[in-house]
Amino acid sequence: MIDLFIQSVFQENLALTFFLGICTFLAVSKQVETAIGLGLAMIVVQVLTVPINHLIFQGLLIEGAWSWAGLPEVDLSFLKLISFIGVIAAIVQILEMVLDRYAPVLHHSLGVFLPLITVNCAILGASLFMVERRYSLPESMIYGLGTGVGWALAIIAFAAIRERLRYADVPKGLRGLGLAFVVTGLMSMGFSAFVGVSLP
Amino acid sequence: MSDLSPLTWWRRFLALPNDSLSKTLGVALLVALVAATAVSVTAISLKPRQQAHVEAAREAKLAAMVATLPGLADILRETGAETLEAVLVDLQTGQIAIDTDPAGYDYLAAQSDAAQGMALVAADDGAGIGMRPDLAPVYLLRGADGLALVVLPVYGKGYQSTIRAYLALRGDLRTIAGLSIYEQGETPGLGSRITDPGWMGLWAGKTAMDAGGAVTITVVRGAGADASQVDGITGATRSSTGVANLVRFWLGPLGFGPFLARLQAGEF
Amino acid sequence: MNNSGWQHLSTPLIDNNPITAQMLGVCSALAVTTALDTALTMSVALIAVLSAASTIISAIRHHLPGSIRLVMQITIIAALVIVADQVLRAYAYEVSQRLSVFVGLIVTNCIVLGRAESFAMRNPVWPSFLDGLGNGLGYGLILMLVATLRELLGAGSLFGINVLPLAVNGGWFTPLGFMLLAPSAFIILGLLVWVIRARRPAQAEADEFPILSREVEARR
Repeated sequence: MIDLFIQSVFQENLALTFFLGICTFLAVSKQVETAIGLGLAMIVVQVLTVPINHLIFQGLLIEGAWSWAGLPEVDLSFLKLISFIGVIAAIVQILEMVLDRYAPVLHHSLGVFLPLITVNCAILGASLFMVERRYSLPESMIYGLGTGVGWALAIIAFAAIRERLRYADVPKGLRGLGLAFVVTGLMSMGFSAFVGVSLP
Repeated sequence: MSDLSPLTWWRRFLALPNDSLSKTLGVALLVALVAATAVSVTAISLKPRQQAHVEAAREAKLAAMVATLPGLADILRETGAETLEAVLVDLQTGQIAIDTDPAGYDYLAAQSDAAQGMALVAADDGAGIGMRPDLAPVYLLRGADGLALVVLPVYGKGYQSTIRAYLALRGDLRTIAGLSIYEQGETPGLGSRITDPGWMGLWAGKTAMDAGGAVTITVVRGAGADASQVDGITGATRSSTGVANLVRFWLGPLGFGPFLARLQAGEF
Repeated sequence: MNNSGWQHLSTPLIDNNPITAQMLGVCSALAVTTALDTALTMSVALIAVLSAASTIISAIRHHLPGSIRLVMQITIIAALVIVADQVLRAYAYEVSQRLSVFVGLIVTNCIVLGRAESFAMRNPVWPSFLDGLGNGLGYGLILMLVATLRELLGAGSLFGINVLPLAVNGGWFTPLGFMLLAPSAFIILGLLVWVIRARRPAQAEADEFPILSREVEARR
């Protein structure tokens, strides 16, 4: 389990190895505080959605899931996209309401980025990878936690670098987006060094 | 009564204010219905084509595997066979399961589904797999003089990952025709050397079982002394003995042993 | 097609390119560009989904209640993506295997939802269709450019056909393995953005903290 966690944080980092959630990654990383808030929100959503999607997939969608009702040949796995997105949208909505009620300051500072998590490819991507690799329920929970932590780690580090770059004298065409891409590329190179790490 | 005609009803529905409850529910239901119908119709009508592709991919993987087993291409050419015949074996009895279609059987899923297999006690679990599925695929190659080749998909725990391989036995069911490891996650540069063609080639021609059916094949440290011993890899003891353990398990009474005994007796 | 129709089609190609100007749809642009055939298939799939989604959403825009607007859009997009995925798996199986989860990820591709929200919800059907088509083409253009560089320099081939003679086969070209790795896509894209903004200075971003000393020098 530990190696699954470490693998999903470093070697298979969703943002820097698989490029998932890059739009939000680039858009929200101008300041470290907002990056931390978004990272934490991502972790919470991932930890909730990956196991729930696992249960829905195993319990309702795969072939044979309806055999208890006398329909063993029904195979609804082609509906997994719609159902996963539905679950993600619902959980983000609930998270928003909970934050509004119990942590209004955080809710206000996250602002519009909380609903944007719904269409963050990293969340859907993690669920789809979970299905593809046939993880069990405990593995799904660890995987959700690991991917969330990995993505948060990436965006916080990136925001820290971008804050420093604000004062740099950058060529006009490279300013902003161009430099953000190149820096992400270099960070990705750094993280690819983890591939050689062997886990106990 | 033109007031009740569907068209007027439809127009009245569209004319409702967007935020009214009935409009909201109506639109939601309608969109969901149309989306579900479109998706289902596409999925069902395209399923046969997709199945054909999956079959072809499976055949291709098998063909690729056969190509990697050293010397196998020659055997195939000699027997003149095009491909291997896939059957499903009930591991408990050693019989061929005739009521399940080998093509549709998901062996990978069965390996982790407790409902489709038998749990193993630690003393019996030489391959470290925890549970053994009830049904397993076997690939047979029949030539002009009878059985030419039997290919067994085997898997087990290596040093740090699950090793999956195809073990091919010659027609006498005692000699190994070849071993082809197609999936492993062992230590790069050390344990992963079990996939070196040089090492896998050492298995070809070794005696797997003696005349009594007892499994004799083993991996030893250093150079192997007789026809049943394969040289171990220096620095990769755990990985190479992992391969030995899984081969021994699957050739034994809890693996394909019963099936091989029946095959030897000429039952199929 | 009248003038404004042509504009809907041509503006997203460079001036308002979804990837380099609007910063949408970047995820898939990086992951599927290791080879030209996957990039092409992904582009075609996205163009189909984007045009269809924009058209449908524009057609029903007057009757979408505000409270369920987002969910309805996502449902329509998800249904279209599933259909596209099924068609791919039936007619282009090997490529669809290599695309694996990324076709499914078109659902969350920011371009589709972004254009739906910002254009299709406010405009009639035909301009929405053209806008979807144009953005899809702009996305495809960037994808093909990046994929050409990555495949050519990383494997010496285009569409799987060997173009540069490989050293292992007796030629002179040793492939740059780096091009097949993740980071190269980011860096190529960054340099591409730089080139575009050098030729279209209007797109360049303003300097937040300009160095004052130059102005002080000039004033002296």
